[in-house]
Amino acid sequence: MPTLTPASIMIERKMTKTTQSDIATIDYAVREHRSLWVDAWRRLVSSRTAQAGLFIVSFLILTTVLAHFFWEYNPKTDLDYTLKLKPPTLIPNEEVPSVHIFGTDKLGRDIFRRVVHGGWNTLMVGIIAVTISLVIGGLLGLLAGFFESIEMTRLEKILLLVFLGGLMGFLPAWIAEQPVQIVLFALLGGAAAMFENFLAGRSARVVLFAAVGLLIGGGLALFVSPYTAIVTGLLGGLIGAALSLQLGGSLFSNITMRAMDIVLAFPSYLLAIAIVAFLGTGLEKGMVAIGIVSIPVFARLVRSSVLSVVQKEYILAAQSVGEGHGRIIFRHIFPNVLSPITVQTTLGIGSAILAAAALGFLGLGAVPPEPEWGAMLGDSYKYLSSGAWWAVVFPGVAIMLIVLGFNLLGDGLRDALDPKMKV
Amino acid sequence: MSAESSVLVKVQNLTKYFPINKGILFQSHIGDVKAVDDVSFEIYSGETLGLVGETGCGKTTVGRTILRLYEPTSGHVYFEGIDLMSLNESGMRAFRKRMQMIFQDPYASLNPRMTVGSIVAAPLDVHGVPDGKDKKERIDELLDMVGLNPDFVNRYPHEFSGGQRQRIGIARALAVNPDLIICDEPISSLDVSIQAQVVNLLEELQGRLGLTYLFIAHDLSMVRHISDRIAVMYLGKVVELADRNEIYLRPLHPYTQALMSAVPVPDPDIAETRHRVILEGDLPSPAHPPVGCNFSTRCPLAKEQCFTADPEYREIVPGHWVACYFADQFVK
Amino acid sequence: MARYVIRRLIATIPTILGVTIVVFMFLRLIPGDPAIAMLGEHATEENVSRVREQFGLNRPTFLDREALKQGDFKGFINTQYFIYLGRLLRGDLGDSIHRRIPVAATLMQRFPATMELAFFSMFVAIIIGVPVGIISAARRNSILDSTTMVGSLIGVSMPIFWLGVMLIMLFAVILQWLPAGGRLSSSVEFTPTTNFYLIDSLLTFNIPAFVDSFQHIILPAIALATIPMAVTARMTRSSMLDVMQEDYVRTARAKGVTERLVLYRHALKNAFLPIITIIGLQFGLLLAGAVLTETIFSWPGIGKWVYDSILARDYPIVQGGTLLIALIFVLINLLVDVSYAYLDPRIHYD
Repeated sequence: MPTLTPASIMIERKMTKTTQSDIATIDYAVREHRSLWVDAWRRLVSSRTAQAGLFIVSFLILTTVLAHFFWEYNPKTDLDYTLKLKPPTLIPNEEVPSVHIFGTDKLGRDIFRRVVHGGWNTLMVGIIAVTISLVIGGLLGLLAGFFESIEMTRLEKILLLVFLGGLMGFLPAWIAEQPVQIVLFALLGGAAAMFENFLAGRSARVVLFAAVGLLIGGGLALFVSPYTAIVTGLLGGLIGAALSLQLGGSLFSNITMRAMDIVLAFPSYLLAIAIVAFLGTGLEKGMVAIGIVSIPVFARLVRSSVLSVVQKEYILAAQSVGEGHGRIIFRHIFPNVLSPITVQTTLGIGSAILAAAALGFLGLGAVPPEPEWGAMLGDSYKYLSSGAWWAVVFPGVAIMLIVLGFNLLGDGLRDALDPKMKV
Repeated sequence: MSAESSVLVKVQNLTKYFPINKGILFQSHIGDVKAVDDVSFEIYSGETLGLVGETGCGKTTVGRTILRLYEPTSGHVYFEGIDLMSLNESGMRAFRKRMQMIFQDPYASLNPRMTVGSIVAAPLDVHGVPDGKDKKERIDELLDMVGLNPDFVNRYPHEFSGGQRQRIGIARALAVNPDLIICDEPISSLDVSIQAQVVNLLEELQGRLGLTYLFIAHDLSMVRHISDRIAVMYLGKVVELADRNEIYLRPLHPYTQALMSAVPVPDPDIAETRHRVILEGDLPSPAHPPVGCNFSTRCPLAKEQCFTADPEYREIVPGHWVACYFADQFVK
Repeated sequence: MARYVIRRLIATIPTILGVTIVVFMFLRLIPGDPAIAMLGEHATEENVSRVREQFGLNRPTFLDREALKQGDFKGFINTQYFIYLGRLLRGDLGDSIHRRIPVAATLMQRFPATMELAFFSMFVAIIIGVPVGIISAARRNSILDSTTMVGSLIGVSMPIFWLGVMLIMLFAVILQWLPAGGRLSSSVEFTPTTNFYLIDSLLTFNIPAFVDSFQHIILPAIALATIPMAVTARMTRSSMLDVMQEDYVRTARAKGVTERLVLYRHALKNAFLPIITIIGLQFGLLLAGAVLTETIFSWPGIGKWVYDSILARDYPIVQGGTLLIALIFVLINLLVDVSYAYLDPRIHYD
């Protein structure tokens, strides 16, 4: 009876000679089963970049959280004109009666305190923005990649076409001011999916559905005006024809990715700035803007990861066993795309923080007097020529440090989770 | 097989075309890859039907379409008389208990993030076997059946060798007691010594559990060993089907003859005296199969009629089916 | 090949249309009356209605249903968006609210400044990034390699504006070697033709002007180039490493080809493809960072102008500037795609 040979473990550990300690390790491995996650974790904590990143990030997160909850700070009352722009003072003297490790800013506020409290805002923006991108972008990418390769069930097709029908029907419905058209077009979409084999592949089918669409769009609009009916009838006919076409699973993916392309067409900072410029300032709006800007990044990443997983035979095996789409996504696809997503999320937090700082710098981020590192930089850089370097250096170093921490961590994660190292 | 054996699976005029689409947003249909083109055969209960052919001939697609992993473009698959194509999703799911598949790539056919136990238990989960002692016992039983230590239940696929992973795949296929197992090139990726082990295991399981196999492969010598009957496919069509000995001793289709002549024979004296048939030309694209007989572009015997009309697939001698105009010549 | 280019061009049309819609919508997303938002609450009635007229804010936004009901098909599409689109196609980006000068003309005037900075920064980034990457790859795991990798990681983590400010502080305030901002000292005599100062001054053999322009451009260029430099260095290194592990490199070495030739003739050529893609993409991102850098260094380009306009709520300028930069970005991406297809013989033009 075949047993687990040491050979299979040796492949994993890439050894050519077995030493005493190796045998001990093999024994350990034989006794303790190791999942790929445990392997990756071990690699992560042994890599120096990851250690550095982990240290920086945990330290900063810890101090920020503790400060937020335990160190009182009311930015609105923090103000002392007598201490305007004082350099870092460790020992109180006549001129500066209190300790200011990082000096004071243009309103006499202690920079150290503001840096520590500003960290909370900065972190919040980074994490929430990335969460928005991850959830929305990830979902879109998942669905796009999944249905590109796996045929939709009848129910899923019906849902999709009902949705598309309703969406497309929005236009003629709006023109004729008849919301009922949306419902009718949605139903038409559902019918197209339910009777997908009816006259399939023949032009008669297209004509039939186009005619029904024409009736829906034009017929009802006759109550409004004959001219409106012409336009909506035409639109309805087009919609009907589109709905009747053979539904390729990649239709959803195509549409979604095109939409992503449009967002990607804008340079990220510019789009975020533009969104905030028009929506108004404030941390929440900044979070949303940055989050929206990064949605395509996650969508593309998740989609390509899902595509590569979906082609593996164990997905086919799951289908042949009878597993439903939900179970396949949850148990098979999800755990296997987690690696690149984790890496991107970590790196994404770093770039979201940079973007937030940029917005703050331009005065488009946190509403003053809320402390925020970018805003602190923006406030103070004009005082540089008069020599007040501390107001600019310290917040900047803080930003750099936290972003560096996340980048190091992300790099370490990427190496640890690199599938090339596994057999 | 004797006439008393019942027909387990009947494949009738099965066709699977993969559409070729071009276009950016709404795609237009410009052609088809004719992976499986009007294929018919029967699989008898308890037998092993070998399905051979070169890469790209459609044999894997046949297997997957029988299992309805691909929706057939047309045609029928009857399982114990019931037309699988007529079933809806829930009906089909019930039938999935009765037919399973073993895959070619032992590295890609197991989810690397699931333990062996969960992989093997997956079919049980799907078909509603509740968690508990019974399930655990069943998993142990399955692992034992394929020759793996049940203690390995909590290990991950990457801790096993290729041959062992294939066994895990077999255990998974056996979980719900299927009648039919489609083996899609299960040994092609394994080392030769391991191949024999796995094949022996498959044979032993067949005897023990009364399984029926559709054994898809391209290695003729191994197929000969394990099959009762053999079907030969070329470019989406079955060109010959017969008892295994019959097909080796009396191949009637020129393609089969070429294949047989290429199988190495251990005895050098006999090998010297054999006549090698070497095929000229390249495999045509399945998107543009030749007019007439698919094999006509490479056939040494091709005559005018071969280029105009497809030869009929007929039972030339009881139990022996061929699709060739010249088959009668070789019947002695 | 030409067909491929044309097909890609056509594929960008929906994207460009989408861009125009998004930019168009910005103005209309402002809570309240956009005209008042732009002019301020104390604006006169006359000014408000002038602005409303200019933007057609009295017309329906996208489509005029009422006109359609009357059978007026022309009136149907005589709406804000289509008026806007029509004007765009004619190159009319509207007028600045406050200064009443045409946006398009002014954008064109300030465009070369931004482009010059962008090109020069990209040049600096490539000149330093690529060789650093190659050398790091060649001497893998050496001290040099680790230093450059850590250095590039730090480079990517720094906020551009902070780096810019630091550079100003060091070189302009403390050391006083270089000017703190602007493009040209007022004391220098110079008449630009193409508005690319570096080129113009060379063309007219105006050496003092050249030196002065160079002094002004070097700091913002370094600040702007840091991130692309870091990314290029890393990308070059990893691409070279991938290629050097390939079998054909091993064959070359086995044949006895010198390490240097192996590096340049065999490895670099094949490693270059992803590098070029990255460089192209970085250039696009560079434009995005223009707003920040130009603001700090008082560089008279599009970015600074857009930023000033945001503060002044002169939205036509913001719209026009954003649109222009977005369009350039789309163009650059298109160029990258096409050059990628051109350079990689494996890619079909399907």
